Amino acid sequence: MVYDSPRGSTDGNMKIARIILLIASMLVQVSLASAADLPVHTVQVDYRTFPGLERMDGNWSALLAGSDGKVYIGLAYHGGGGHLVYYDSKTDTVHDVGDLNVLVGQQSLLVGPQSKIHTKFAEGRDGRIYFATQYGNDFNYARVGTPEGYPGSHWMVFDPKLGQTTDLGLAYRGQGIIAGNYDPLYHRYYGVTDPRGEFVYFDISKHNEEILGRFNNWESLCRTLVVDDQGNAYGSFGHGQIYKYDPRTDSIRDLSVKLPIRPKGISLGRDYNKSETAWRVVVWDKETKQFYGIEESASTLFSFDPYAVEDGAVKPLGQLCIPSFRGARNVPFATLSLTLGRDRKLYYAASGREFDYAGSAGLAASHIITYDLRTGGIDDLGEMRLPDGSPVLGTDSATTGPDGTIYFGGAIEVTPQPGKPVEAAGRIGKTAYYRLAIIIYRPRH
Amino acid sequence: MKYRLFVLLVVGLNIGVAAYGQRDPDYDKVVVLQTRIDARDLGYTPLDVIPNGESGISSLTVAPNGYLYGATSGKRSHLFVLIPRHGYVQPLGVIPGATAVTHAVAVSDSGDVYIGTSPEGHLLKYTPQDQFHQGIQIGKPLPVTDLGQPVSGESIFALNIDSTPSIISDRKAGVIYGLTSPNAHFFEYAIAGGKFTDLGVVAQRVPVGEKFEKDKMMSRMLVVDQKGIVFASGENGAFYRFDPNLQKLEELSIHAPAVPGREPWTRVDAFLPDPSGVIYGGTSDGYLFRLDPEKLTVTNLGKPLGQYRIDGLVRGPNGKLYGVGGDKDDMARLFSYDPSAGAYEILGFVDVNRRPYYTWQAYVIGAMASDDRGTVYIGEDERISKLYLFYPWP
Amino acid sequence: MLLNRRSFSKGAAAIRRGRLRKAPITVRGLWILGVVVLAFSGVGLSQTVTVQYRFFTGLPQMDGNWAALKAARDGKVYVGLAYHGGGGHLVLYDSKTDKIVDVGDLTRLCGENALDMGPQSKIHAKFGEGKDGRIYFSTHGGLWFDYARFATPEGYPGAHYMVYDPKTGQVKDFGIGPRFEGVNTGAFDPKFNRIYGLTHPRGHFVYYDVATGAKLDQGRIDNFDSICRTLGIDDEGNVYGSFGEGRIFKYDPRVDSIRELSAQLPTRQKGISLGRDYNKSETAWRVVVWEQETRKFYGVEESATILFSFDPYAGPDGEVRRLGQLCIPEMTNNRNVPYATLSLTLGADRKLYYAAAGKEFDYGGSAGLAASHLITYDLRTGKTQDLGEMHVPDGRPVIGTNAADTGPDGTIYLVGAISVEATVGEQNYGGKIGSIPFRLALFIYHPKAD
Repeated sequence: MVYDSPRGSTDGNMKIARIILLIASMLVQVSLASAADLPVHTVQVDYRTFPGLERMDGNWSALLAGSDGKVYIGLAYHGGGGHLVYYDSKTDTVHDVGDLNVLVGQQSLLVGPQSKIHTKFAEGRDGRIYFATQYGNDFNYARVGTPEGYPGSHWMVFDPKLGQTTDLGLAYRGQGIIAGNYDPLYHRYYGVTDPRGEFVYFDISKHNEEILGRFNNWESLCRTLVVDDQGNAYGSFGHGQIYKYDPRTDSIRDLSVKLPIRPKGISLGRDYNKSETAWRVVVWDKETKQFYGIEESASTLFSFDPYAVEDGAVKPLGQLCIPSFRGARNVPFATLSLTLGRDRKLYYAASGREFDYAGSAGLAASHIITYDLRTGGIDDLGEMRLPDGSPVLGTDSATTGPDGTIYFGGAIEVTPQPGKPVEAAGRIGKTAYYRLAIIIYRPRH
Repeated sequence: MKYRLFVLLVVGLNIGVAAYGQRDPDYDKVVVLQTRIDARDLGYTPLDVIPNGESGISSLTVAPNGYLYGATSGKRSHLFVLIPRHGYVQPLGVIPGATAVTHAVAVSDSGDVYIGTSPEGHLLKYTPQDQFHQGIQIGKPLPVTDLGQPVSGESIFALNIDSTPSIISDRKAGVIYGLTSPNAHFFEYAIAGGKFTDLGVVAQRVPVGEKFEKDKMMSRMLVVDQKGIVFASGENGAFYRFDPNLQKLEELSIHAPAVPGREPWTRVDAFLPDPSGVIYGGTSDGYLFRLDPEKLTVTNLGKPLGQYRIDGLVRGPNGKLYGVGGDKDDMARLFSYDPSAGAYEILGFVDVNRRPYYTWQAYVIGAMASDDRGTVYIGEDERISKLYLFYPWP
Repeated sequence: MLLNRRSFSKGAAAIRRGRLRKAPITVRGLWILGVVVLAFSGVGLSQTVTVQYRFFTGLPQMDGNWAALKAARDGKVYVGLAYHGGGGHLVLYDSKTDKIVDVGDLTRLCGENALDMGPQSKIHAKFGEGKDGRIYFSTHGGLWFDYARFATPEGYPGAHYMVYDPKTGQVKDFGIGPRFEGVNTGAFDPKFNRIYGLTHPRGHFVYYDVATGAKLDQGRIDNFDSICRTLGIDDEGNVYGSFGEGRIFKYDPRVDSIRELSAQLPTRQKGISLGRDYNKSETAWRVVVWEQETRKFYGVEESATILFSFDPYAGPDGEVRRLGQLCIPEMTNNRNVPYATLSLTLGADRKLYYAAAGKEFDYGGSAGLAASHLITYDLRTGKTQDLGEMHVPDGRPVIGTNAADTGPDGTIYLVGAISVEATVGEQNYGGKIGSIPFRLALFIYHPKAD
């Protein structure tokens, strides 16, 4: 068919073109209007910073709301001594217990400093707060075992009545403790060493320690140990496997269950040194006698019932990430910020981009995501915003207060003031300064 | 019965008394052979000695005339000389403006003693005059000429001298090379012309480390090879070379040996030029190496000791090298290396036992030197310090 | 035949009646031999003084104690028990309840029990009682292996500064002070609230400031063979020790520096060792005590147990005065006076009490068995008195001691060794002197009023 262009057909074409153009522009305007009018879903949170400790540059796991209303936090400082701090929610004051290097008495030795608390705090049956210390810089392990290197993690306890810490001694020579938890039944503190990935525990009553050997490679050290109500301790290893330590037999068994991890593939801006085959963070629910946790590879939420059949049972429950990332390959690496609220909901702070303080992939706001244990429903409460509207950049610890308040440990942005030094720990990306803060969220019911 | 037992007891008790009164022989096995080592106080005891707290020996060098010159560090720095014919240490005076002189004493062919000071960073010249007839006066200032400061704001960390004859007029009397601290400048001073030239840096950055680690890494000494080329180590343990003919300081692609990952904190502690033309050296982690300045190769010769640091490295009369290892928290040990066999011998702690006259063990060594008569000098660097003389055996 | 029971009894009976000639010749000979031997050994059949004693319950294997004894204001007496090759113990004797309490194994108290490194085997320093009532001290290593393990990963990690709180019964660890070294000699100053020490083997003067947590090292003071075993602190907080050939140094905390004084101790030349420890130079003071009334130190030096006074305020460098020899009288001016002990204390009665050894006493390293004497020196009269051999109520002699202190009620406490009979099974003694097992004990002497 030959199309000629009589004047009448040209006019017709132009008309069609105009109509198409009009429809297109309307569609654009609608979409623009949709984008412009769609409110950014936000949730307001409060925060407290740590006066005089703006140089503290990270926090992982180390957050606990004690039964007395004090919220303990371990602040990390690469290259120097980290700090043990607590926020007294009753008096709304922040207290610096001290520099970890000084608390263990190694401050004059010019050796690898006690830079972090990387374990969960635990409130012992004696009311004291137990934890273990960790190193900061690894220097590709060029200093492990050397006289100037990191001497080793210390088992420690803080007595809130006396306001004093006691050093219970060196845990493992040359090694840090990267994951740790406490069992009130056997009055022990369990840990995973870094970098050698060995399972160790400290028997507080007997003042004895046992080392049960290697479980992880350094790139897949599990960051959370958990304990059930019978005193059994669990950790993850290998490709999504779980091991169980039984204090009655003082031995470890590899369970046959598997976590719902997904294959990693080529790293998409992620930390290539992480294997992403471990669980990231796990909490115990004493009502259902199950664990709930998030695995590293895709932030998949799972339950682990240690009593269902001999080796327990694992069930995937959905992805606990910002909804727009669901099913996507580039869901940001899971954080350690998971806690069980008093309202039978899990609260999780999901990052908008890979979040690791100064090692973050970039700036994005962190969301609170909840999972309702009663209904199985997942809810994105939105971006966490401080009272001044600025976003929470990311968190890596969470705990629930006795009154149901949810606390996170993480980073907020610092805006430089002209003519004044910037009170910040470092930068995220090239532009934003950050410092550490306790983020406070009071769930609405 | 009681009496019988009592008597037996009394008799028995007096038989088993320890009879020997000499030193426990086990300790003699772990120290240097006692007939081959001796020590000297730094002066004429008990009063005319370099005071405690000022006596840490941190520089030793043997002059062309065979005299040993040394400098100390502490509350004040002192210069001293040991004339082998007389055999005792003679303090010469307090070095002005110095609390440390670290491997920074060099003697020219004309006998002038050049001293690089810290913290003020001045190059001083001391011209010896009839030292034998001078009395020791502790506290008197050393008469020096201040030649100036090579790099403003920097102290002098190391010095060496090249007395190789030169046709260039202002280099004829010799050239002094140095490193400064904290910023690792490499400089030269032409003695005849009296001119300093800053030739660049051997380290740009403080290596990654803990917050209390603030030093840039550079070698504790400089070495001049047979062709007048100067070598040092710098950032990441890389070797640097200065060719005076080209007036160029360049970073080489060869490095001091180190366990992989420890390069940022590696420095060369000691250099020793060999008559064969190669250069031996020791690193901060305690490795011995051989550097070929022509082929630009480094051979790792291993570690003589299970300790850090090679605090000094010198040649003995028998072709062996002698060195001391151990860092400041440790206890120093003397070792030898036989290049022909590639073999180490661990000689033991640096200790002298001349009881009832004197006894002293040196735990930290600051400098070493050796002369052409075969004496190895070992300078202790502690609050109370002695000069040790070691006599290697064939 | 010679020693059958009948003839022996007859002979013994005769001797008891003073009729030696009537005793059978064999028994007579034996007695004469016995007396000669006793005389030769220097252990005369001298007068005795009875002291009470308490064993350290459950700790028979502890093998030494040097300096570490403190009678605190509340009546508790603190003792540091040494154990070569393992953890020493901190114990206390509660004089009010007459009970021994084991505070714990030092290696565990320092938190190093899981590490398979050189253990915290001793407290070799004097305890100090702070104004806060807490008891301050530092730890020490035991075995040194000719320093073949010095500064190695498996070697001794270093002494800890520590404090015991009698109110809570808890020990607090201030951390390692001098890396890889023990604290051989130590003292606590309540005025500046510091723990001072001299390290072994490198002989550095170090201290820990309790208020600031600062740990400082002033550098080398001496060679390992002549590190003085006692630091003296005056009422201004100045710290004194001996070094070199009988010299004294003074550390002034106000200027944080050391000055070597010109005062000289009355040491004597050593000569070839007569069964003594050749590794000791014997040019230092051995033990000194501060006397507040006259504001002087009184001490005993190593070489001949010469008693001296040191007045730090007499002139810029102080003044030393020789006061006599504080040894068993028969040994006065002898060459073989046994090496001085650390057991000197000032009683509430203005007398110095000193436990003199009958032979070189160093627990398992002792030269032989002999009874220790209690010697006094009266500061008022300048008179020396030998109270005699110390015996416990069952007649056993005190073999030797190396620590002394005075309780608030004037009771004199000493720590040392007595002989025990070895039992079958678990070892019930700390070591042997010759073939005789010994065990550590706390000795208690109540001075009689003049």
